Amino acid sequence: MTPASYTYDGTLAGLLTLYAYLLAEPAEVERISAVVADQQNLFTAEVSIATDQAAAEEFWQRLTKRLSDNALKLLRRCLLADHPQQELLIYHFLLLEGEQGKKIDGMLAHPWVAQVWKLSQQVAREAHRYLGFVRFQQVQGGLYYAAIRPDHRILLLIGQHFADRFADQQWIIHDQHHGEAILYDAEKKEWLLLPMKLHAQPEATPQETQFQQLWRCYFSTLAIPERTNLKLQQGKVPLKTRSCLTEFTV
Amino acid sequence: MAADLMDKLKILADGAKYDVSCSSSGSSRSNSGGIGSAASCGICHTWTSDGRCVSLLKILMTNACIYDCAYCVNRRSNDTPRVALSPAEVAELTIGFYRRNYIEGLFLSTGVVRSPDYTMELLIQAVRTLREEYRFNGYIHLKLVPGADPLLVQQAGHWADRVSVNLELPTSSSLQLLAPDKSRDAVVQPMRQVNQLITINRAERKQSRKVPRFAPAGQSTQLIVGASNESDHQIVKLSEQLYQRMELKRVYYSAFIPVNQDTRLPARPVAPLKREHRLYQADWLLRYYGFSADELLDEARPNLDSELDPKTGWALRHIELFPVEINRASYEELLRVPGVGVLSAQRIIRARRQGHLGLDDLVRLGVVMKRARYFVTARGRSLEAAALDSSSLRSRLIDKTTGRKPQQLSLDFSSPVDDETRSLITGQL
Ligand code: SF4
Repeated sequence: MTPASYTYDGTLAGLLTLYAYLLAEPAEVERISAVVADQQNLFTAEVSIATDQAAAEEFWQRLTKRLSDNALKLLRRCLLADHPQQELLIYHFLLLEGEQGKKIDGMLAHPWVAQVWKLSQQVAREAHRYLGFVRFQQVQGGLYYAAIRPDHRILLLIGQHFADRFADQQWIIHDQHHGEAILYDAEKKEWLLLPMKLHAQPEATPQETQFQQLWRCYFSTLAIPERTNLKLQQGKVPLKTRSCLTEFTV
Repeated sequence: MAADLMDKLKILADGAKYDVSCSSSGSSRSNSGGIGSAASCGICHTWTSDGRCVSLLKILMTNACIYDCAYCVNRRSNDTPRVALSPAEVAELTIGFYRRNYIEGLFLSTGVVRSPDYTMELLIQAVRTLREEYRFNGYIHLKLVPGADPLLVQQAGHWADRVSVNLELPTSSSLQLLAPDKSRDAVVQPMRQVNQLITINRAERKQSRKVPRFAPAGQSTQLIVGASNESDHQIVKLSEQLYQRMELKRVYYSAFIPVNQDTRLPARPVAPLKREHRLYQADWLLRYYGFSADELLDEARPNLDSELDPKTGWALRHIELFPVEINRASYEELLRVPGVGVLSAQRIIRARRQGHLGLDDLVRLGVVMKRARYFVTARGRSLEAAALDSSSLRSRLIDKTTGRKPQQLSLDFSSPVDDETRSLITGQL
């Protein structure tokens, strides 16, 4: 059989349905891509797989039972990645896992495992960085709002950290890049992930403005002029992250 | 809260910024009803234009001081405006910053006012306010004032995650010359006491988990490098003792940057940051790679090589031990191969259980082949045709960054808990 290209509807359930389908009769795959339903082209050679919620859930159940904690962690992180080839990389990993079972955990040097590991490291590293890069501002009504623009969809990886830390405060972390947000409810002590768009800039309280000024003042005092090293700083705080960081905005 | 607070913040942050201990790791506190938690792996919140990580609100309670240490901006004889925050103001600032996720917690230091005891009490009051009134569970690093009563030292460790007293100068003679008001004893005494209290606390907590923790993130200290004439060998030896005998969690090195005109102080030393960087690398080798100070340096070679990292330097002096066969070498042997870090050594051990590794596999396991290629074989094969000879190897391995501006090591995470952060700091030595 010649390698084929597959499409799914862009949802997690759609992707899992596709994996369940492909792994039932392992085939060579050239490309897997997400295609929003109304953009599907009837005349391409792509095979499109319709989402089947039940099949997806059953597949996920089976997978979580089979995989080691470590492999599951890799998989979860890669599913949250925003990378042009992540679907295919994960497929290869699952294919190998089907052949090798638990042995896959030690196969760190296998190219298919190494690729998935590398991607998962990128996601994990960004998630870790955003534990520090979230900046809440207090808006009218006492809510704390933070905007972020990460490369990967890391919200699910950082939610619990913030829920533990800011348990007594009402907050939202909004991923403006992927259009989703975590809402934390301090009464119920629960958080959930929702799609979200911002229609207006939130209005800061006077106290908020004061703390922002204090923070900028503190930040600019800290640097030691004799040690200036902007390149190092840029490696640590890439320019694209700065629009959401209080200390880099006026 | 007004412009007044802003001015105070500026002055008091400026006075604290030369203290390099920035890490907020090594303590885990869960949030029990209030606000905050201390994460066991360090979290940096931003980086300043000198590339240093910001994780704590690092601030002095006051910059007034009755002492006159030669190297210090806050010394008595400097003509600068003196200001102070009240314990309540410190607590309010900390909470305001913390709620906005600017910081991991507080690093509170101070000049000495009236007496060491009086000053220590002020610091403790600020921390108590945070812990008791605000129910703050975030990270707190508290400076101990040399000469303070042992009872106060004990209280400090009760409220803080980490306590520290800075040795500043490696030998008592330099301390006497540059910080005549402080005796070596006044500095070492609280350090010893804290070490004992930590040991006792550990034993008590084995008996019962209900015993409250004492300074769970341990203690650290700082050495100023280049203000006095000690060699790297003396410094690294001292650090080794501090880790072994005092069980310090970290020794920080701060390249001396003159802030005062003083005849007792040297002029600005050459390449101070490079030296600081090499000392951190050597320190890393002591703590995580199983090296001893005497393996890295000795009286005949008292200073670290500026052109080579200390591990590569060691390997070139022991060329007879190389190359090592990657499929057979022990973990300890792997750690000593230039280009192999802690993480890649662990991955090699795990991966080779599934079968023999080839040279190509090493790259995928995170080994830096640029350095490692001269020191390893895989299934008996090497990337280098000819045998090793240390002088020609040296010229190939010389740090390419040497000619450029000295690179600064970033002092962000201190704990090796998190595998991602580890490779960031070690740069895979
Ligand atoms: S005691 Fe501390 S603050 Fe006072 S002069 Fe000495 S180093 Fe500076």
